[in-house]
Amino acid sequence: MKRIGVAVLLALAGGAGTAQDAPIPAWSRTKAAVETGGTLVERGAAVFNNWCSACHSHGPENAPGTSSLQFKYQGSLPAALEDRTDLTADQVRFYVRNGVAMMAPFRKTEVGDADLEALAAYLTRRR
Amino acid sequence: MPTPPPGVSARDFAAALRQLEEVVGREWVFSSDEDVALYRDGYSPLWGEAEERKASAAVAPSSVEQVQGIVKIANQHKLPLYPISTGRNLTYGGAAPAYSGSVVVDLKRMNRVLDVSERDKTCLVEPGVSYFDLYRHLRTNKTKLWIDTADPGWGGLIGNALDRGGGYTGIDYRDHFDAHCGMEVVLPTGELVRTGMGANPQAKTWQLFKYGLGPWVDGIFSQSNFGIVTKMGFWLMEEPQAALQVAVTVPKRRDVVPLVDGLHSLMSAHTIPSQVNVVSPLMAGNDPELVRLRGSGGASDADWDKFAAARGGAPFWAAQFVYYGPRKVITAQWEHTKDALGGIAGVKFAETASYTFPLTDEQVEAVGDKARLGIPSLNLFSSRSAAGAQPLEGHMDFSPMIPPHGEDLIALTDFTGKVYADQGFTPSFVGGLMFHPRTMICFHAVPTFRNAADNQRTRKLFEALVRGCADRGWPIYRIHPVFQQLGMQMFGFNGGALHRLHETLKDAIDPNGIVSPGRYDIWPKRLRGSRA
Repeated sequence: MKRIGVAVLLALAGGAGTAQDAPIPAWSRTKAAVETGGTLVERGAAVFNNWCSACHSHGPENAPGTSSLQFKYQGSLPAALEDRTDLTADQVRFYVRNGVAMMAPFRKTEVGDADLEALAAYLTRRR
Repeated sequence: MPTPPPGVSARDFAAALRQLEEVVGREWVFSSDEDVALYRDGYSPLWGEAEERKASAAVAPSSVEQVQGIVKIANQHKLPLYPISTGRNLTYGGAAPAYSGSVVVDLKRMNRVLDVSERDKTCLVEPGVSYFDLYRHLRTNKTKLWIDTADPGWGGLIGNALDRGGGYTGIDYRDHFDAHCGMEVVLPTGELVRTGMGANPQAKTWQLFKYGLGPWVDGIFSQSNFGIVTKMGFWLMEEPQAALQVAVTVPKRRDVVPLVDGLHSLMSAHTIPSQVNVVSPLMAGNDPELVRLRGSGGASDADWDKFAAARGGAPFWAAQFVYYGPRKVITAQWEHTKDALGGIAGVKFAETASYTFPLTDEQVEAVGDKARLGIPSLNLFSSRSAAGAQPLEGHMDFSPMIPPHGEDLIALTDFTGKVYADQGFTPSFVGGLMFHPRTMICFHAVPTFRNAADNQRTRKLFEALVRGCADRGWPIYRIHPVFQQLGMQMFGFNGGALHRLHETLKDAIDPNGIVSPGRYDIWPKRLRGSRA
């Protein structure tokens, strides 16, 4: 699923690359509009790319959130959110809307409710 | 039912919210507790206390006409508004208003890049456009222009410029307000104005010539509350052929004096084009001896040099900067820099990174110091830097401005180190950052918390820093809304004449006092008695 996710991200980012394991280019992150096409999980992958990956991509470079979670979990859980198999939709909703530590919450003008549901679907796809 | 703003009845507020829904659509008026909470400042030094600055509601327009409609309703009900662009001015207030009860006007949906001219090297954007957005736009269209990004990069060009933030590239671009050229503003009366050449609808030079004809008024819309800026033009840097990132180190504490003098001369002559950081790697961290020396408030040069020697003779100061341009020119500039600074005993010169443009996506990803190449990232955001560390919850930036003199950098470091220690905090890492051509900003991180007891200590620390540094000739250049009244008090020449002028303007431009009451301590007449 990870490979499919990355491929989807690259396609949505405008064909930035073809190698399935290529990193998401930093410049493709956090754009204003999120694509409305594709399945819920695919849309969630795009939301993740736009709003989350600049902190929470696989890293460890260019991923301060992943780096912080690596220090927190010390390997007991995957530091990259996309690799987690235990996240629930409620957890995703909670952290996006409440923030945690230095992460500020995201407003509905940034991540709308529909986008948040898609994001929750993406990050819980491995449960 | 949300709590209405002070002085507005529940009935009027309900009516106002209904009218706002008619303007922007029901989906884009936020008044539930849950939705309004998203506009809290997560880094507030008043988090959870009665005085925390909180919105009563938020409204998110998608067009200039909708902004005008909102302003009309606000005038009718004397509703305080608080416009934000991307709402990510974290450490300086985030999306929360300066005056509790304000209705946040969230401009994030106005996110269009309206124009980019590769030939003229300019852009025109709306307030919701972030640095990531514009960078993406330029990369996608293979435009050979750079942005100058704030760091972190999720802030917006307009909001950052209006708060007079800065970046890292060339001198014409990194002072973000100085880099703007032309704006469009919805005045508090609802009238739409364009500044500079934009006041001539046929002008071909709105983004090329700043002044237009008559008084140049753009400055009054920065760090103020005189209107809602809906468009701004910016000058962009042409992608250079190459860049060379370098470091210059000097061994002893007092060497910072000739180092900064030399750097200032090189910057003034445009030999060094980029922002320059002058930092002391030795003075970072929690080493007990370091904390003791910083906290002493006046350790001698000999004490510090002994401290450095005990740590392997590491250089005391490092200056970091970048050359941009044709490779041949860069080589000449670097050689000249070495000549100019070569007289400092023990000085060392190092090339730390070299680039030839354009970069591939993979090369962009691999750049270590992205902001210096105008590449937005969030790499500064890290709550933890070690296993078992207590995660950081937030911080405010304390940002005193000093002359480009090594003596002032040393004296400030002595002073603030002692203030931190006296208040029970580990002294902040300090550097002298030469964003502007003739000053250094010495950012200090002041931690904020999610509990009142610790925040009370933080507020005491912050006030001591603001007052103490201003007394020594180092007032701040920008400040969190909770401390804007204190900040303006530090600019009190002639009994606060400047502040009185600000409020005279406020009365003339915003007779009903609806736009951002209290921002930078500028209050409308009707609320002056309620000033915090």
